Amino acid sequence: MSAQPLPLRFRVGFRRRPGTLGSAWSQPLAIAGMILAGAWLLVAIFVPLIAPYDPLAQSSQLFLEPSSAHLFGTDELGRDVFSRVLWGSRLSLPLAFFLVAMAVAVGAVLGAVAGYFGGWVDEVIMRATDLVFAFPTIILAMAVTAALGPSLRNAVLAVLVVFWPSYARVVRGLVMSLGQADYVSATRLLGASSRRALVVDVLPNVAGPVMVLATLDLGNAVLLLAGLSFLGLGAQPPTPEWGSMVNTGTQFFQRWWMGTFPGFAILSVVLAFNFLGDSLRDALDPRSSWAVQGRDR
Amino acid sequence: MTSAGPAANPEIQPGWRLRLPSRPFVRFLGRRLAALFLLGLGITFVAFVLTELVPGDPAAANLGQRAIGDPAAVQAFREHYGLDKPLPIQYGLYLQHLVTGDLGESEQSHRPVRTDLSEYGPATAELAVTSILIAYLLGITLGVVAAVRRNRLTDQVLRVISLGGISMPTFWLALVALYVFFFKLGWVPGSGRLDPGLLPAPHVTGLYTVDALLSGQFDVLANALQHLILPACVLAAYNIGLLTRFTRSAVLEVINNDYVQAARAKGLPERTVVLRHVLKAALPPIITVGGLAFANVMTGTVLVESIFSWPGIGQYAFHSATTLDLPAIMGVSLFVAVVYIVVNFTVDILYGVVDPRIRVA
Repeated sequence: MSAQPLPLRFRVGFRRRPGTLGSAWSQPLAIAGMILAGAWLLVAIFVPLIAPYDPLAQSSQLFLEPSSAHLFGTDELGRDVFSRVLWGSRLSLPLAFFLVAMAVAVGAVLGAVAGYFGGWVDEVIMRATDLVFAFPTIILAMAVTAALGPSLRNAVLAVLVVFWPSYARVVRGLVMSLGQADYVSATRLLGASSRRALVVDVLPNVAGPVMVLATLDLGNAVLLLAGLSFLGLGAQPPTPEWGSMVNTGTQFFQRWWMGTFPGFAILSVVLAFNFLGDSLRDALDPRSSWAVQGRDR
Repeated sequence: MTSAGPAANPEIQPGWRLRLPSRPFVRFLGRRLAALFLLGLGITFVAFVLTELVPGDPAAANLGQRAIGDPAAVQAFREHYGLDKPLPIQYGLYLQHLVTGDLGESEQSHRPVRTDLSEYGPATAELAVTSILIAYLLGITLGVVAAVRRNRLTDQVLRVISLGGISMPTFWLALVALYVFFFKLGWVPGSGRLDPGLLPAPHVTGLYTVDALLSGQFDVLANALQHLILPACVLAAYNIGLLTRFTRSAVLEVINNDYVQAARAKGLPERTVVLRHVLKAALPPIITVGGLAFANVMTGTVLVESIFSWPGIGQYAFHSATTLDLPAIMGVSLFVAVVYIVVNFTVDILYGVVDPRIRVA
């Protein structure tokens, strides 16, 4: 994170010019991500109307290959894979949004507290983030879920445990560097309260980096939750969940459609969020973006 | 520098002579070592707290169905872990066990977790190292190409590929790759580390490829490589995406520096400029991704090894997770975390060696 104060541009709002949020929408990648994510959101909302079958209804037609009656075939219990994939969005999408929102809230509060107070409070919170970062994410999430007992709720809790520290660090760093920024001091000198300085000057500057991180984490959350369910630690059968559907697919290896289509669903959702996050990063944080020119040095 | 040779001025030492590490470097090393130790202690604390979190009777959770009916076994378990003593003492006991290498006993294998880990370790090490090598090779190449062709079509395509790599669920990629390359095309053998009927070379390192090479059994080496290539590539997908992106920006940071321009002005071919001057300067920051790359591979092995029937730590972790074998899960987590922080430590030190500016910070 750069120590220099962030430029003011994010304050002025959502205008369409380079370096602002508006410029993200002129990128093809952002549009592709938007369309893909939007489509999945619509699916999640209107699933009961779209899905041709009940995702839990079993039938005697086991292992049917994909056909016009069953677009993605049927599984080992004769359930329609297409309907189950569509219903899976109702689980993964809201959970991803919920998770990231919680991680941002917890991380931002702890990070702001650490950055503002400093001293031992800062020390304790930062060492806690170090500890979380000392584990590869899925290893810690796996251990936490296993300790609490396998269930979707505990898997969500475990993902929250591994996600909050990155926000705490970003927010802490920004709060510390911005506390010394000239324009924040200027606001204070003009007689503004520290609350006003925080809300008007600091918060908008924190919002950009956090938003980039959060968008990318939406994809990571979907991946991690699916991974935990793949391990049997998240969603439990017969819940239609993408990760556990791929797991079943590995057990019936030659019926390729059982695992392939739920996996495609995961891939497309994560890709959508990563497209969006990457374009946002381009727009808001030119230093680390793909759009770095490497010319004006 | 050029006028006075080493003989004329003993103060100036030639750069190639091995010198004792400088004071700042020793201090840097010491600080990192202390941090490593504290972090290791913290990891054991996390593992301990997690075992405490397990709802219900820890004896029931750790002993499994078979032993729980045996009061003597339960009593022995309680005494071993000091379950009737206060928590700080329990933690002390736990640390004492760890120091002696006691990670508890797996419910599934009925063997010490340590024995299991040392048996499965080499298979995962072989897979992980191969995968990271592939990822670095491809990632750096693609990253350099993207940087050189920046903002052109190639660059945009590589951007999408790189994002695709980090968006792919590894366990799904493994399934699809196995179906296509083994089941449909028959290009690679199906599962395990060797064909059934083939014996591994005499055990030296536990890495089948290296052992085969050492004993000169080239048929075993070829077979081991055939088994290794697909899982290693699948595991590399995420890191290729990561490294492509990282290399690209690292190269762009230096590509128009004055000394690069000077090299161009000398009339060196662009190829030499990029490989000799640009990549050399861009490499140190790329090294730092090594730790992250390792974490990604470990994440991948947990999800993927069982699909390839690869008898490594990942498969062990997978079976522990699906059967809720708690001592095994905690043992694997602890082990992987310790290896991970040691890898990060090594990367840090390497970076300090390559780039002296880091040591001051």
